[in-house]
Amino acid sequence: MNPRVVITGLGIVSPIGIGIGPFWKAALEGRSGITALQPFGELPLDAYRSRVAGHVLDFDTVRFPDAIHADRVDRYARFALAATSEAVADAGLRMEQERPHRVGVIVGAGMGGMVMGEREITQLYRSQKPNRVHPNFIPMITLNSASGIVAMAHGAKGPNLTISTACSSSAHAVGQALTCIRSGQADVVIVAGADASITPLVFAGFCSLRALSTGFNDRPSQASRPFDRARDGFVMGEGSGALILESLAHAKKRRARIYAEVAGYAATSEAHHMVIPREDGEEVATTIRLALKDAQVTPSQVDYINAHATSTPIGDVVEVKAIRRVFKARAEKIAVNATKSLVGHTLGAAGAIGSLACALAIETGRLHPTLNYEDPDPACALKGISSDVQERPVTVALLNAFGFGSNNAAVVFKKYR
Amino acid sequence: MASDIAIASRIHAALADYLKKDAGAIQAHHALRDDLGLDSMATIELLYRIEETFDLQIPDEDLQKFRTVGDVTAYVEGRLKPAPKSKPVKGTTKAPSKRPAGKKKG
Repeated sequence: MNPRVVITGLGIVSPIGIGIGPFWKAALEGRSGITALQPFGELPLDAYRSRVAGHVLDFDTVRFPDAIHADRVDRYARFALAATSEAVADAGLRMEQERPHRVGVIVGAGMGGMVMGEREITQLYRSQKPNRVHPNFIPMITLNSASGIVAMAHGAKGPNLTISTACSSSAHAVGQALTCIRSGQADVVIVAGADASITPLVFAGFCSLRALSTGFNDRPSQASRPFDRARDGFVMGEGSGALILESLAHAKKRRARIYAEVAGYAATSEAHHMVIPREDGEEVATTIRLALKDAQVTPSQVDYINAHATSTPIGDVVEVKAIRRVFKARAEKIAVNATKSLVGHTLGAAGAIGSLACALAIETGRLHPTLNYEDPDPACALKGISSDVQERPVTVALLNAFGFGSNNAAVVFKKYR
Repeated sequence: MASDIAIASRIHAALADYLKKDAGAIQAHHALRDDLGLDSMATIELLYRIEETFDLQIPDEDLQKFRTVGDVTAYVEGRLKPAPKSKPVKGTTKAPSKRPAGKKKG
């Protein structure tokens, strides 16, 4: 019998708030975190097709203890450090009372240390001075610098892993943490997703991929509009979400507050195309079915779906096709929302931020609105999507996440009973 | 008219090169998706080459105009028309010389 796994702590750095309190308040108020794209030094911003983004504008006010040397890691890892520190405190997890090798860290990151990466590459080619490359360049761009510094900050000596599956990275981080605790490798896993790649080169790359919204440059708060007829691409965001997962027995022993149970997880590959999903939605549907089976719940028990819903013309349609395939008539009765309508697409952080929206929905019985859902696109409209807050008890929640590289993940959360 | 042919043949050459086919096998009426097998990513890669070849920026909202090879030619024609003399297209029927790798994604 696998141990049950529960969520006991949450933390977040997001474009609509740093900290769970401010984030959830802003989310329920339907505040948009999307603004005009901030300047990239001297680069001409009008040469970027998309000029809107979900920046974390007030992160410089966050301070870290000197001993952690947070300046030795890139922005995305500092986001993860801030979010996990909040989650550890929220969980009341006192590391001095834990067996350190039983506490793991799993971080999902899509792009990694791109701020430092782009800066040093540019300087090298400009200066022609390889001997002036910064000594912290390698540790800062290494994709596991976030999981490394989080472990150092908290003294977590258990499994330390980084998962990089593009936009589904931290949904897999949550799922792999579940697997890790179920298998007995750890009692507690500090989970995070983080990315901070609204950087000149990465942003230009997503523009060239024609993946970003370009039609709302003069109306940033309207640019991220999942399921709406006028959607025209995703809006890049940045941030980090963090969750403390632990075995139920461990949580009970230390009398921790339990937000929700992590009940099931599935990971699949469409083995289809680097960036285009299979249009019939069948592979996504299979992923959802596998996650429900793992959680031992039936489609009829699901009350809420935190959709991947990036606001791209194709992606939202494929996801709704998959939801209809799995849930049939019930698809119209399930509450659905898109956290990306508030914060944009935070890439590697998206799955973790969606997961904590599921935990908060289960705990509070309130679902944040889907912003800019004004003119439902019949190809991907569902009755359960709303531009208002929805109040309803949630017993079973589903999180979807899909990533470039033909990658799908689904995680099932349950109210703890 | 002469410049039309030049633009068309450069687009056909770029397509033929991308698809590793003979330029003669590309016809104006060929549908990018159904006849030539270009998916949305392949269309984006092709347009990236065409932007470079003709020094154009093609906005995202124009992508849906490109159903056939002829649509692409007509579009480039239209875009180059306002200032045909000031920015002459270099070469005539030659395939683009400065060609990006195009196949790999960032």
